[in-house]
Amino acid sequence: MVIVRRKELSLRERLYLPEIARGLSITFRKLFEKPITRQYPEEPLPKDEVTRGQPRLVVKDDGNIACVSCGMCEIACPAYAITIDGGETDRPIEREPKKFEIDMLRCILCGFCEEACPKDAIFMSDELELADYSRAALIYDLEKLKRPKSALQKRIDYVYRLNNRWRKSSSTS
Amino acid sequence: MTKITVNGREIDADPKKPLIAACHENGIDVPMYCYHPGLRPVGSCRICQVEVKQGDAPARVVASCRTPVAEGMIVNTDSPKAHDVRRECLEFLLKNHPLDCPICDKAGECDLQDYSFAEGQTKGRTHEPRRKLEKRKSLGDVIVLDEERCILCSRCVRFFEDVTKKPQLTVADLGSRSVISTFLDKPLKGNYQGNIADICPVGALTLKRFRFQARVWNLSKHLSTCAECSRGCSVTAEVLRGGDTKRFRPRFNPKVNQWWMCDTGRFAFAHVNAADRAVALRRTADGLEACDLDAALSAAASALRGKSNVAVVLSPFATNEEAAAAKALAARLGAKTCFVSPAPNALKDDFLHTGDPCPNRRGLTDLGFAGLAAAEVAGAIAGAGAVVLAGERVVELLGAERVAALTGTRVVLFDTHCVDAAALDACIGVPVHVEKDGHWTNVEGHLGRLTIARGAPRGVRALDENLKRLSELVSPAGAKA
Repeated sequence: MVIVRRKELSLRERLYLPEIARGLSITFRKLFEKPITRQYPEEPLPKDEVTRGQPRLVVKDDGNIACVSCGMCEIACPAYAITIDGGETDRPIEREPKKFEIDMLRCILCGFCEEACPKDAIFMSDELELADYSRAALIYDLEKLKRPKSALQKRIDYVYRLNNRWRKSSSTS
Repeated sequence: MTKITVNGREIDADPKKPLIAACHENGIDVPMYCYHPGLRPVGSCRICQVEVKQGDAPARVVASCRTPVAEGMIVNTDSPKAHDVRRECLEFLLKNHPLDCPICDKAGECDLQDYSFAEGQTKGRTHEPRRKLEKRKSLGDVIVLDEERCILCSRCVRFFEDVTKKPQLTVADLGSRSVISTFLDKPLKGNYQGNIADICPVGALTLKRFRFQARVWNLSKHLSTCAECSRGCSVTAEVLRGGDTKRFRPRFNPKVNQWWMCDTGRFAFAHVNAADRAVALRRTADGLEACDLDAALSAAASALRGKSNVAVVLSPFATNEEAAAAKALAARLGAKTCFVSPAPNALKDDFLHTGDPCPNRRGLTDLGFAGLAAAEVAGAIAGAGAVVLAGERVVELLGAERVAALTGTRVVLFDTHCVDAAALDACIGVPVHVEKDGHWTNVEGHLGRLTIARGAPRGVRALDENLKRLSELVSPAGAKA
């Protein structure tokens, strides 16, 4: 049990008005300072290479997707957001995804997929906004996930720098 | 029996079998690539080397697949020397092995992967480029060969030599240029090609039909029995995410199929994965309409009630349990019973395939069902008051036109797909054989087990359960029909 004793107020405090004036003076002073709030949709969030937004698939400079549908991200995903079905392609790599779905409502943006990928095919982009009218529309398919490599280059470079200890060269060409 | 000591444990070994078999049969793991219990050992991969001490001679490392057991042998599979030798072997096996596990179908069930993780080195020491060979060499209609991945264990070569007795493969060329090849580059022939993809310890031989279809860790594996002939090979049904059955693989059964199965059974997905399954339909004034199971069952019961000259016709895919339920229903109805027996096909060979496309002929015959050809069944049911057709593919085997041609006979159908027939009063869905529990009796009398590899479509119940409920509805227990 805690006994809370009411503080004895001084006369000045009991007069009430001086304290109001003091409070308002702070309010008015802040009016002329730089605001710290952000007008979010109009004024976007600062995005950096460390921003871990939604995962996106790399389309290499030759126009082919880097993913070979090995399923490593699928198995690494702690939220079971990824579903991949592979298939054969005539390219020398032999294998490519026929279906690659990420349920963005399940995705927790943890970045495990990026870490698991042996082909440098999936990276966390700086895209963060997610809104739609139906749940089905938020299950992103291959076409919605593809991004040119240049769009993800900042993040790719950052991940390489981060992993430099054990990985020296790129396998994505 | 010969007494030997393995890792300090005394075990009884069969003197006719090599040392590695004695270890495996006693739960002691010895890695292997070229050795396969169903094939003649050759000792080409050397990964099964273990340390053996015999008598006063100093311990030496030998390939356990080529070493016969001898009385008093002291074996150590775990000694540092044995591990060292195996690690060196692995290094050579991996020297030219492409590290393309991300695209390899074998990844996840690959012996080379498993033992590399268990015993291998984390880093390769070679700086030379890896050998470049053909990655996509077609060996006939079933198999694709990836020459780079091959470790030349020669299991596939020996499979055709020892098991089908028709040699078709060989190790061509010499030294580091050795590759697996068919004679004169002819495509592989025969109904047993798929087995070499199973026994390949790496991903060198893959099935064209399974290529890149699924990662093996996404497949749930359930014991089942092959439905393609009366041999009833024990198989594993492998299902991708509760949906399509992606492959059937043989399951070791010493009495029926050993380690093997034919390609007909291996690729028998067409019916198992068929779409648009019937659930429950009944006839109303405006034709057949979908309804719930209870309504369809009572429509079926009213079609049968009071009819004389009733026939119960089973599909040859009916399990013993379903046949027993059908027999009980027939007894209530005073009905004739038989099952549709398709004609023998030309796939019969001297190995596994019996040529009889009727997996439960023995079981159904034992239960008193007579096997009649489709035309005979049609003749037998032509004048019947009502007929119950039960079991997956019964309409397909009987001929949809024969069912459609029935007049004056009411038909109750239990099948995976409905048929457009004027005589049809109710159609109730049945699970296919990978969706049900039960048993088939094979041609030699061995029971083959079926288990539920994936759920049946929503609303579809087991056939034997539905037949029992139908018998209750037709004539409630106690009341004699």
